[in-house]
Amino acid sequence: MNPILAGIETEYGFLVEGHGPEELVDDATLFVQSHPGQHYAGWDYRFESPRRDLRGFVLSQLATDPQDALWDSGRVRVSDAEIRSDRVLTNGARLYNDHGHPEYSTPECWSLRELVLHDLAGEEWLRRTAHSLATRLGRSVRVFKNNSDYHGASYGTHESYLVPRSLGFDRVFAACLPMLVVRQLVTGAGKVGAESGAWVDFQMSQRADFLVEVTNAETLFRRPIFNTRDEPHGPPDQWMRLHVICGDANRIPSCTARKVGLVKLALTLAAEELAPRWPIRNPVQAFQAMSRSLRDDARIDLEGGSWTTPRAILESYLDAAEQGLGLKPDTRPLAMSLLSDSSWADDLACIVGETRAVLESPELAAQRVDWRAKRGLLQMYLDSEQASWRDPIAQALELAYHDLDPEESLFDALVSAGEVDESWPPAEIERRRFEAPEGTRARLRGAIVREMASQITHLSWSKVSVLDQEWMLPPDLEVFDPLDSPTQIEEFLRKIKKAP
Amino acid sequence: MITADRTTRRLTEEPERKHADEDGPQKPDLKKPAGPNELLKRMKNVDPDQAKKYRQRSGQ
Repeated sequence: MNPILAGIETEYGFLVEGHGPEELVDDATLFVQSHPGQHYAGWDYRFESPRRDLRGFVLSQLATDPQDALWDSGRVRVSDAEIRSDRVLTNGARLYNDHGHPEYSTPECWSLRELVLHDLAGEEWLRRTAHSLATRLGRSVRVFKNNSDYHGASYGTHESYLVPRSLGFDRVFAACLPMLVVRQLVTGAGKVGAESGAWVDFQMSQRADFLVEVTNAETLFRRPIFNTRDEPHGPPDQWMRLHVICGDANRIPSCTARKVGLVKLALTLAAEELAPRWPIRNPVQAFQAMSRSLRDDARIDLEGGSWTTPRAILESYLDAAEQGLGLKPDTRPLAMSLLSDSSWADDLACIVGETRAVLESPELAAQRVDWRAKRGLLQMYLDSEQASWRDPIAQALELAYHDLDPEESLFDALVSAGEVDESWPPAEIERRRFEAPEGTRARLRGAIVREMASQITHLSWSKVSVLDQEWMLPPDLEVFDPLDSPTQIEEFLRKIKKAP
Repeated sequence: MITADRTTRRLTEEPERKHADEDGPQKPDLKKPAGPNELLKRMKNVDPDQAKKYRQRSGQ
C-alpha cells in the first residue's frame, strides 16, 4: 500500500450585485485580481495537455457550451492571461478565473486531513477575496460552493489523484467506475429538482443531470462519469492522473474526506489486485437513477442479466479493504480520527469504518452526509410552511445551504445549531491559508512564491524557473519543514540566489 | 452576502508571514440558531426567488 497524492479544484458560483451572467467572465477576473494576500501572478500553461486522453490518443478539440458562446458573441476581451489572472499562493494553491468562475485548486496533499484543511482554507480565501472585491466595486458579492445554477449550467469540483502509469488505464477504470457511480450515497451534496429529464423533488447528486457518457476527456460539455484527461503534471512515463469530475462540492468537511478517501481506497485495491468487479450495464443510467431514488437499495443492472444495489457495491469495497488489506475499521467521526491519526493506513481505516457507520445509521448519516442533512432541513421547512418541493423557496433554501457567508449560509446554521457536528480547528485551517502541506513539492512552490515571487519567470505544478534557471518538481518530491535543519527548501533557495 | 461594510465578521489584516502559534481569526460573532425554531426563522429570511435569479456560466 502506497500513499496517493491528491488535490481538489473547486469552481465557485458567484454573483455581483446588479450584474448578469454576461458579465461573469469579467467579474471573475476582477474577483481573482482582488485576492488580498501574497501571491505570484502567472501560470505556465506550455506543458498542459487537456486534449490528451488516457487511452492513448489526442482529441482535435474540446466541446464548449452553446449558451456561453451566445453570451460571449460580440464581446471584446483582453488577453487570455489577463482573463485568467492566475495567482499562485504561498500555501502552494492556485486561484484563477476558469470559464467565469473563481477556481481554487488546493495544493497536492498526501493525507486526507491536509486535503480537508486546505479545502477549508480555500473557502476562507474565497470569503476574503469576495470582501475585497465588494470593497473595490461598492457592491455586495455572494459566493456559493455548489455545482449548478438550476438553469442548466454546471461547474465542477474536481479531484486529482496521482497514479503510477504502470497500473494502466483498464485496471484503474474497472476498479474506480463502480465506486464513482455509488459513492454519491455517502458523499452527494443533494439538489432540489432536475436540470435534465423529468422533475424530481430531490436527488442525491448535484452533477448527475449533467453526465451523459461513461468515459471521455470532455469537461465543459458531454461530461463523463470517468474523465480520461491525461495530464499527470509530472513525468508521463511514470505517472498518470485520475481526474474525477463527477463529484459534488461538499460543505460538510468529512464528506469531502469520504469522497476522496473512497476513491483512494478503490485505487489502493486496484494496485493490490483486490478491487471488486462490478460490470454495470449502463453506468450513466445507474448514476442518474440512483441519484433520484434516494435509496441505498436501488436496482443497478449488471451485464449478464443480474442486478445489485448501491449499498452492496459500496460494502464490497469496504469488505475487500478489511479482508484483503487487513484494515481495522475506525468508527470515530472522521474529523476526530483524521486529526488524531496520521499514517496512510490510518486514513483508509478511518474511511472504511466511518463509511460503514454512516451506511448503518440514518441518524449519523443525517449529521455527516450533505444530501441527507440538507434534505432534512428543507423538509422541516416545507412541512412547517405547508410548502411543496416545487415551490421556488425550495431551491432558494438549497442555494442558501451553499452560501459561503456564515451569516447567510444554512449549512453554517446547521453547524451552529449542533445538527451537524464538525470540529475542524480554526487555527489549523488558518495555518493552511499560508502554509503548504508538509512532505510535498507544494512546500517548495509556496516557499518560492513567499521568498522570491518577483524573480519567478515561469511556474507550474511541475516546473519552476527562477533567475533564468529551470527546475523540475517531480510530484513525489518530498519537501519538509523549512525550519528543520538543513532543508531542501533552504538549499534550493540558496542555490537559486547564488545562480549567475 | 458579503459586503464592503460588513461589521459583524472580523477580517484580520494579512500578516507578512504566518505564525503557527497564533490562534487564527476570531469566529464571526453570529446569531447562533439554537434549535429548529431558530433554523426556521433563519430560513424564512431567505429570498424565495434567489434561485430563480441565480444564473451562472457552464464551467468544467
